[in-house]
Amino acid sequence: MMPNTMRDAWYPVGLLSGLSDDGKDSQLLGEPISVFGAKNGRPSVESAGRTLPVVERFGHLWTSLGSPNKDLFTIPEADHPERKLVDVGVVRVKCSPLRAVENFLDVAHFPFVHTDILGAESHPEVSDYKVEIRDDVDEVWATKVEFFQPQAAKSAGGGITTEYMYRVPAPTCAVLYKTCPPRPGEWDVITLFVQPLTEDLCDVWPWMALFDDESSMTDLIHFQQLIFLQDRSILENQLPKRLPLDPAMETPTRADLTSVAYRRWLKRHNYTFGAQLVAE
Amino acid sequence: MILYDYILSPSCYKVRLLASLLEVPLEVRPVDFHPGREHKSAALLALNPAGSIPILVDGDLILTESAAMLAYIAGQHGPGWLAGSNPVDIAQQQQWLAFSHRLTHALGGARLVEMLHFYGDLPALQASGIAALRELEAALFARRLSGGTFLVADAPSIADIACFPYVALAPDGSVSLDIYPSIRIWMRAIRALPGFIEMPGIHRLHELAPDPFEEASL
Amino acid sequence: MTPVNPVGDGTYWTMAAKTDAQWVPVAVSADILAGTVVPARLPTGPIAVWRSATGNLYANGDRCPHRGMRLSHGFVRGETLSCIYHGWRFGTDGACQKIPAHPSVTPPKTINCGPLHVAETNGVVWAAAKEPAEPPQFYPGYEALRSLVIVSTPAAIAAATNATIIDGAIQTTLGGQDAVLLMSPQGPQEVFILVLARPNLNLADRLAVSSALEALRRSAEAVEGAA
Ligand SMILES: N[C@H](CCC(=O)N[C@@H](CS)C(=O)NCC(=O)O)C(=O)O
Ligand code: FES
Ligand SMILES: [Fe+2]
Repeated sequence: MMPNTMRDAWYPVGLLSGLSDDGKDSQLLGEPISVFGAKNGRPSVESAGRTLPVVERFGHLWTSLGSPNKDLFTIPEADHPERKLVDVGVVRVKCSPLRAVENFLDVAHFPFVHTDILGAESHPEVSDYKVEIRDDVDEVWATKVEFFQPQAAKSAGGGITTEYMYRVPAPTCAVLYKTCPPRPGEWDVITLFVQPLTEDLCDVWPWMALFDDESSMTDLIHFQQLIFLQDRSILENQLPKRLPLDPAMETPTRADLTSVAYRRWLKRHNYTFGAQLVAE
Repeated sequence: MILYDYILSPSCYKVRLLASLLEVPLEVRPVDFHPGREHKSAALLALNPAGSIPILVDGDLILTESAAMLAYIAGQHGPGWLAGSNPVDIAQQQQWLAFSHRLTHALGGARLVEMLHFYGDLPALQASGIAALRELEAALFARRLSGGTFLVADAPSIADIACFPYVALAPDGSVSLDIYPSIRIWMRAIRALPGFIEMPGIHRLHELAPDPFEEASL
Repeated sequence: MTPVNPVGDGTYWTMAAKTDAQWVPVAVSADILAGTVVPARLPTGPIAVWRSATGNLYANGDRCPHRGMRLSHGFVRGETLSCIYHGWRFGTDGACQKIPAHPSVTPPKTINCGPLHVAETNGVVWAAAKEPAEPPQFYPGYEALRSLVIVSTPAAIAAATNATIIDGAIQTTLGGQDAVLLMSPQGPQEVFILVLARPNLNLADRLAVSSALEALRRSAEAVEGAA
């Protein structure tokens, strides 16, 4: 029943630094897959006897069940040699892969879910920002998103107003660019790569490319795990489990315009694995 | 005091939580438990051959069991958190500290399988976790009948701190807490203690902070 | 024994619509402290039951109209319930009073978290999706003691007590004391039990009822296991 469009997309299936030569059994879009380290000299993925296409990028191994009609997206900013590339590691979440991405695109939850780190209850306001579906690249973008943050990053000393840009380059991937406290003018890159296991179960592989000379790699991993695990207890408790694409099911406001555009874009492309089309 | 710590470890959180409640400074050394498996590195195995965290180092003293760390910190900085000289209280405190190991194994094990891709017999871990939660619920209900809020005697103790984190994080291992009213009331009492700190998955009680909208209108 | 995970899979089971206008026991009154919200279940799905700072009781669907977060994970301030996800605040009539992301906007009247009907008798909290014609069943000379979930069926529980089910309840003795077991099925294999006992019991007798209830659960679940 799954539309082919989602089979043709690329998905993360492992950290390149953590692959096992003996193979690891996993799932993708409800189908069993096995992920191998150096079985034939290079990482590979198999599904039901078939060898799937792979790409090695952003510290992760990527694959597709179908025939991808375009290359996996790139993040040119992340190539800067002075950035620290942070493999945050997998976290399994009992939620729709699409709900996991949508949560990542949202700043309004910071005061309540990431209290005194990414937001404060005394500064909950989300001012207007710009959202568009960029047809040339076929991506969802939100820009000029501003929010007050008590501790925006491991490297942030105190409260600042942070500027964000959000980008959805693939149905289960989101990239955020945010003000980089030690390097004014540059953007930190923080991503959420989601491997859809089933419609209500996913493996999330966060990854970051940061300018930070102060913090250790472990500190950076822990900061991101801290934040993401705060989200996990929310994501596992949203009802219905699948992301409703019927606008009548939930109630967006101006602060949710990124989510509205994301849902519209998913619907337009039939990216509906993990979505619910009509109210139950 | 140096704590080898992992931000997502409920066992490490026990030590951070008690230190915070007692206002004891800790020097925290983050350990890359996941994905790095640093707790199995040569340097950390030299400190703790069991390959687990937390590890607490204070001068020549090295502790590798969180229950012992709680006893040590309370003994030094908060004797009221240790059962006194009454044999019943002492025994009950030991009872709950031992019980906390069952929680670590069962609910903690289910959590590592469900959340971080560890291997384990998930249904068996969940079933023993539920059995432990049922025992705890019955005991806390009995405590409430005689006017008590915490596990031992009249005040919060290291027994509560040892049991609280894995119970509160049971849903991480797909074990629901919805059906245990006495556990819910007990957890709330712990979360309301002055100096309480949160960990991911255990959020603070927002209602204890002043309402920002009320503030604005004053 | 299967794991007890009432809402974990997010499914809503639906029973005949006629149960919508019937009182269902959902909690012991004393288990819902002032200023707190708790999860519970109706046959129509999960609900959030909350007691305001002044002690009044309210219930609504366990789903925030904004993005579906379970409201039972939220928090109570004064006479309002807030969602933990983005802090939307709801009044006792279910209407949204505040959207923190837009502090100067008055939320439209249409945003509502769906208040349900609640009543308290015998120290029992009852809820109903639609207003029932009658008040909840009253059990003279009884008071709620404790609740638990048994992974079994009402029939197996009745068999384990050698009693018959009348109006969804069992009258029996537990630990040598008179007891009424109110039952609310939570799905095919789970029953929420709320036990009522005599209000004047001393501590030892109450503990005996509670222990006997645990023993009853063991035997009812063993019956299922054997089946
Ligand atoms: N020694 C126990 C161990 C606590 C525990 O299970 N720690 C976990 C992390 S939360 C661990 O290090 N597991 C790795 C292992 O046991 O190999 C304690 O201090 O309570
Ligand atoms: S989901 Fe409740 S406030 Fe957003
Ligand atoms: Fe978040």
